[in-house]
This record gives sequence, C-alpha cells and structure tokens, in this order.
Amino acid sequence: MRTLHCFTFRWYDICSYNLGLIIGVLSFIMTITEDVVKFLETVPPFQFLEAVELKAVSDDLTMEFYPKDTVILQQDGLASDALRIIKKGGVKVSMRTENGEEVTIDHRGEGETFGLISLMGRDKQKTTVIAMEDSICYLLSREKILKLIETKPVVSEYFLQSHFTKYVDKVYREMHNKSLFYGSSDHLLFTTPVGDIATKAVVAVRDDATIKEAALQMSRHRISSVIIVDARQLPVGVVTDRDLREKVVSRARSVDDPVRDIMSLPLVRVDAKDYCFEAVLTMIKHNIHHILVIQDGNLKGVLTNHDLMMLQGTSPLSFAKDLESQESVDGLAPVSVKINRVVGLLLKEGARASNITRIIAELNDRLVRKVLEIAEKQFGRPPVAYCWLSFGSEGRKEQTFKTDQDNAIVYADPATPEQEEAAKQYFAAFALFVRDGLVKCGFPLCPADYMASNPKWRQPLSVWKKLFSTWIGHPTPEAILRSLIFFDFRHLHGDEALAVDLRSHLMKNLKGQNLFLALMAGATARNRPPLGFFKTFLVEKDGEHKNELNLKLRGIGPLVDIVRLLSLESGVAETSTLERIEAMRGKNASIDSMGDELVQAFEFISLLRIHHQVEQIEQGQAPDNFINPSRLSNLEKSTLKESFQVISTLQDGIIDHYGPGMVGSG
Amino acid sequence: MEDERSFPDLATPIDQCRYAVIDTELTGLDFKKDSIVSIGAVAMTGGRIRLGETFYEMVSPRTAFRAETVVVHGIMPSDVTDKPAAGAVIDELLKFCAGTVVVGHFLSLDLHFLNKELKAVSGRPFPNFVADTWRIHSWIQNQTDAACRDFGESGDRDLFALAKKYRVPIAQAHDALGDAFITAQLFQRFLAILPGLGVRTIKELLKIGKP
Repeated sequence: MRTLHCFTFRWYDICSYNLGLIIGVLSFIMTITEDVVKFLETVPPFQFLEAVELKAVSDDLTMEFYPKDTVILQQDGLASDALRIIKKGGVKVSMRTENGEEVTIDHRGEGETFGLISLMGRDKQKTTVIAMEDSICYLLSREKILKLIETKPVVSEYFLQSHFTKYVDKVYREMHNKSLFYGSSDHLLFTTPVGDIATKAVVAVRDDATIKEAALQMSRHRISSVIIVDARQLPVGVVTDRDLREKVVSRARSVDDPVRDIMSLPLVRVDAKDYCFEAVLTMIKHNIHHILVIQDGNLKGVLTNHDLMMLQGTSPLSFAKDLESQESVDGLAPVSVKINRVVGLLLKEGARASNITRIIAELNDRLVRKVLEIAEKQFGRPPVAYCWLSFGSEGRKEQTFKTDQDNAIVYADPATPEQEEAAKQYFAAFALFVRDGLVKCGFPLCPADYMASNPKWRQPLSVWKKLFSTWIGHPTPEAILRSLIFFDFRHLHGDEALAVDLRSHLMKNLKGQNLFLALMAGATARNRPPLGFFKTFLVEKDGEHKNELNLKLRGIGPLVDIVRLLSLESGVAETSTLERIEAMRGKNASIDSMGDELVQAFEFISLLRIHHQVEQIEQGQAPDNFINPSRLSNLEKSTLKESFQVISTLQDGIIDHYGPGMVGSG
Repeated sequence: MEDERSFPDLATPIDQCRYAVIDTELTGLDFKKDSIVSIGAVAMTGGRIRLGETFYEMVSPRTAFRAETVVVHGIMPSDVTDKPAAGAVIDELLKFCAGTVVVGHFLSLDLHFLNKELKAVSGRPFPNFVADTWRIHSWIQNQTDAACRDFGESGDRDLFALAKKYRVPIAQAHDALGDAFITAQLFQRFLAILPGLGVRTIKELLKIGKP
C-alpha cells in the first residue's frame, strides 16, 4: 500500500505540469458538444457562425440514430419538426407523384441537411426521406433554425440558395404543367428587385366598405387580392380570394359586413428594393400568397405568388426567344455561349442529370435549327426534300457541354440525273456553311469526320438504306463501330418522313440478324465497369490520370451500349437511353427486371460527370471524364459501385445470351 | 421532493419517455472501501439525445485515491480538493433525473455507490425507475442469436467493446460524462431495435433491463 501510494504521488508530480492543468481547465466547460462544434465548423452554413454562436447552436441540438432503411420522414405525414444535419451515413429523398410514381429527388450525405422546407411551410411533409445506411443526425428545432435564419444573414442566404429555389420551382412546376424550361432562371430570384415585378396598379378599398364591394372590385379588375386602406389611404390589411372562401362563403357570413372584419392581419410588407427571394422567404414564413410592396414609405404595389412564377417563367423563354430573333450566325454565337452557363445554374438548383441534358438538348436543337434556317435563306430552296440528322450523344439528347458535331443529311431520292447533280451541289455548299456556322457557335469539328460536310454522310435515302443493310449484312469491325454511332440517329430539322422511313428500314433489316447483334453484343460487353473482385474501384495505374477512372469510357459508354443493343433487339425506335428504357418496358426481360436500377445508375453517373465538368469549367480547365473516386463521399462511392454493378450484371447477361465464344470474338 | 418521485407512466411508449443516462467514476470497485469521484449524465427524450442538457460534477471522494484508477479516469487528487462532497451534488443529480427512467451500463454498480451517498444524506435510496444497458444487450442477444443463448453470457461486456460492436463513435475523453454519452448512444441503438422484438412500453423495458 505504501509503495502504491508512493507511485501515485510520483505519477501525479510528473503530470501535474501538463495533464493536471489541462484537465483542470477542461472541467470548467465539461460538455459533450465539443465534437459537435468541430463537426459544425465544417458544415455550411454553420461554419460561417462565430465560435460562441456555434457553441450555442450545438447546445440546442439533439441527436438521433436511424438504422438502415428507417423512414425518417414520410410524405404526407407530419411536417418535420427539425432541420436534420447528417453526421454519419446518408439518406435518399424521394417523392411520390400524382400518378403514383416514386421519383428519387436527391441523395444526401454527411454534412448535408434535410427537412427544411416542410419545417418552413408547416405543411404536410412533401417528401419521403429514408436512411440508406445506418445514420446519425443532429436535429435543430424549428424555433431555433427560424431564429437563426432571421438573425443571421449567412444562414438565410445559404438556405435560400440551396432550398427555396427548389420550393418555388416546385410551385412553378405545378402551375406550368411541367414546361420544359422551368427552373432555368431561378437565379432571377436573387437578382430581381421586388419593385420590378410587383403589380403596379394597386386596387384599394376603404376599410369600412362592405365585403360585397371588395369582392366586386376584385372581380372587376380580375385580381385575387385587394388592399384595404384607412381614411388616410394608408394600407391596414389585405383581403384575398382565400379570405372570401374561408371567412365568408364557408361560414355563411353576410356580404354586407364591413370588409375590415375579414381582412388578413398583420400586413406583411417588403421593400421595393429587396430582392425577390426575400419576398419568397417572407411569404413562406407567414404562409401567405400576397405581400405588399412599399417604396419610400408608400404603397407601391402587391406581389403575388403568381408574379414570382411569371418571373421564373418568362426568362428562359426569353432566352429561347433571343435565339429565335437572330438573323445571322454571328448574332447566334454570343447567345450560344450562355447555354454552358445554364448547366451550372441547373446543377446548383439540384436538377437531375436527365432534366439538365433534356434542357440542354432542347436549347442546342434550337441553336442548330436556327443555323440551318439561316443556311436555307442563304442558299434558297433545296432541289429535293432533306432531313438533318444528329447522332451520338446529340442524337440521344445526352449532351451537356458542347461535344463534337455528329450529323448527316438524308435527302429524297432525286427523280432525274439533273436533279441528282443539283442536289449534290446544293447540299455540298449547304453542309459546309452549316459546319462552319456550328463551329462558330461552339460545336467543335468531329475528328472522325462524321459530319454532313463529308460527302459520304450526305446521301439520298436509298443510298443510306443500302449502307445500313450492308453494315448489318457484312458486320466488319468498322461496320459495327459505325453502327454504334449512326444507329442513334435522330431527326432534327427538315422532312421528318425521311428519318422515319430510314428508321423503319433499319428495324426491318435488324430482325433475325443474329450475327450482327452478337458482334454488337461483343463490342458492348468488352468495356467492363472499373470494379475489382472485392468491389474496389479499379483506377488508372499511372499516367496523367493516375488513381482516377473514366466515367464516360467505363460507365456511361457501356451503359448506353447495353441499352442500344437491347433496344435494337426489341425493335424500339427511340434513341435516347432513358426513352429507350421506358419504351422497352414489357418488351424486354432484362429491362423489366433491372430497368429501374439502370435508370438510376445512368442518372447517377451522368450527374457525377456533369458535376465534375462544371467544377473544372469553374476552375478554368477543359472538362474531361476523369474522376478520383477517393474524393467522393461514402454515399457517392457506394452508389457508384452499385451503378457499376448494375452495368456489370447486364453485361454478364448479354454474354450468357449470345454465348461467351461469340461475344469473345467480337 | 415530489418531483423526484414523479415516475413516468409504465404504459409510456419507449420512444416518448424521458431518460437520464448516467455514469460514475469511482476510486475503485471495492463496495466497502471505494467511493464516487465524478458523476456524468445525459438527457434523452425517446431516441433523441439532448446534447446541451448534460450533468457533470467532480466530487471530493470520501475514500482515498488509488493509482490504478487514477490512470483510468484521469482525475487527480488536486482536481477535487476544492470540490464538494458527493452528498452535496446528489440533490442536483436527482433534479436532473426527475421524471426520467435512469439508464446506465452495469448500473447496479453506480447505484450501489450513489445509494451509499444518498442514504447518508436523506436515508432513502435512489428513487427512479432504472434500466441497465448491459442487461438490455444480453436480452437482445438472447432473442436474436442462438449461439449466444447456448453458450451463455459470452462476448463483449465492457462499454467500449459494445460501443465498437454497435459502431458508436468513441471520440470523447474517458470521463463520466463522455462515458454516459457513449452509453446514451448505445441505448439509442437499442431503442431502435427493441420495438421489433416486442418491447414497446416502459413496463416492458424495465423488465428486460432490470439491473
């Protein structure tokens, strides 16, 4: 006992200088939130808070654990009572549409948040959130997060940027029936002052007027709200359609009652100089659809939900209009530059990869069509009807940033040798003009010369048909390579009947061509996804892209090839990968069993690639397809692995189907 | 004194009940010779750990420090010379625990020493309903793993081994509050498992978690 005591003493002596001191200090602030503070220091927007505030936020947090597959929030269930910050693990956010379709909106991982929107709206929960792995979340209560948003501009700005645009976008979508261009100009919310779009002519009614008078004013002016003013003409309240429904009609109140009895209070205002997003925030917070706009202390107008939607609706169209109004290639070029910017914008707003590429395809299509129209004006009426085809990623509507031109012309078979000669001359000059025009608009030349400017790829319909038949009948390696590219052709401009004719010729010729399909299967199964035996990523061993993997060559490419092969087998005429998958449902066993996984894999790899490219462009680099998997979050890694696994499984199925020998020789 | 006795209703669902998850550091494990050095507690409501609602007190032990345990808990005689005796903070602890089910790992040990202090102050033992995470873990094992049932109590007993098994991060310093936090997270995982095994109310929890 004595020796022990002695030891204790010595030990204590040695350590009292440092350890004892430290522990002594720590004991004053003994909490379990130090790790939380450290974590929040890496999480936007909390990282922007001062240390004291961060500590206060940490003390307000609670912490929950969700085993894998736990439904954390349920669509149409109770609104979320807290903002959840993912400490560990990951979740999937999905939504059931009106026709019962389950749409995955987002995957969120460590350091990301969810639940804000239902928190703000106090509505029913709009999405379902499920834990994809065992997850730990910190919860910040509704009251606390609202207070932070109100008092800390960095917090409100962050959440507005990352969430509210999506909210408004959704409202807009409901109203505008899924217009193709929704959302591409949500940034206007952050750049347009309220005063610019508020309804200017304010209809006001005195507070002692009757409900009937107010309603008459509203219907006379076809407006959904009327401002109530006092004797000094100062606004004291607002009456909206909703008030008439909820406080008059549904309660059988007399319409001769004074309007002040049903007006909404308090009157919520924004300044005309405020940006629209502040109005949106205020409207959401107060759960209202109308807000007064005040300028220099006076009533300037009313801003409604509808005005905000219009703001979002008009600009993308005006972008398209901008394209339409150009008369020359030189005028088009500067407009075309903007298309690249749209990608970044859409990404920031959380758009899905397929939506981004659809919007980009639509804009690029308009651009190309405009160049063709300008060419038609320049060269006059073509001697025979023609159709402009696009191939490759453009043909599949899967372009993001402008890729090489892949195009061709098919024209109606000339009736006479004179007409044939005239067509040859006309389309030669025409194609050259278009090629150069497209280069000016940012579409680089195709290094393999798959362009209409190459005489090989501008032919009468009968020649094209023969060409396709030859490729299918004599499938040389070169023929297979060309089939992979050309069979994704799509009509873009001109006489669509020519493209339809060519497509049906192709489908007819493919029937029973097992040798051709087997060789195509061989080409399809050759590029395996970069997954090792133990489900590790196989990365480049050396060179410029050491430790990286090529998403296009090893991911998107093989997937697109699989879907093309299956759709050619099943006689499906669509050319875009997602449309092909949809069209094959019920016709193809592989798609019936793995279609959903395939769609998700395609969306995910595409999105990863777009994110990567946008990042490169923002840093002034040329976009490529190489990513370093070690830089991905755990959730991203596992999703990417699952995506590769889907591709691999389908490739195995193809090898099985056509026989290993057959495919191996391809 | 009334609040200390405000027990939760036995029919309360386990995901709605309030809990106080506690841990004590001791001068040693001898029931007679040793006593409390520090007490930590973390508040929970259902599966939610309330990170800002914690209790931590170092006390001046009634018995001598021992070298082998000083190394474990890191509290030195000099740290507690100005600290109150355990009896003085126990009232605060009771307030913190009021209306909760008190949860701990090998709780009977903590309870023994707490009761010793309590009896000296008020003559009454610890008033709350109590549940032991080690007991709950053993019960779950017995329900789910046939091998464990056959070989009796085997495997990991100590808090850190269990924490590792259930992937509870162990980042905090080894003190009463840090350990209470780890215990709370362990309990949090059990709360997620238990309803699937038929344990839904406090009554059922107390039965399987009896220390």
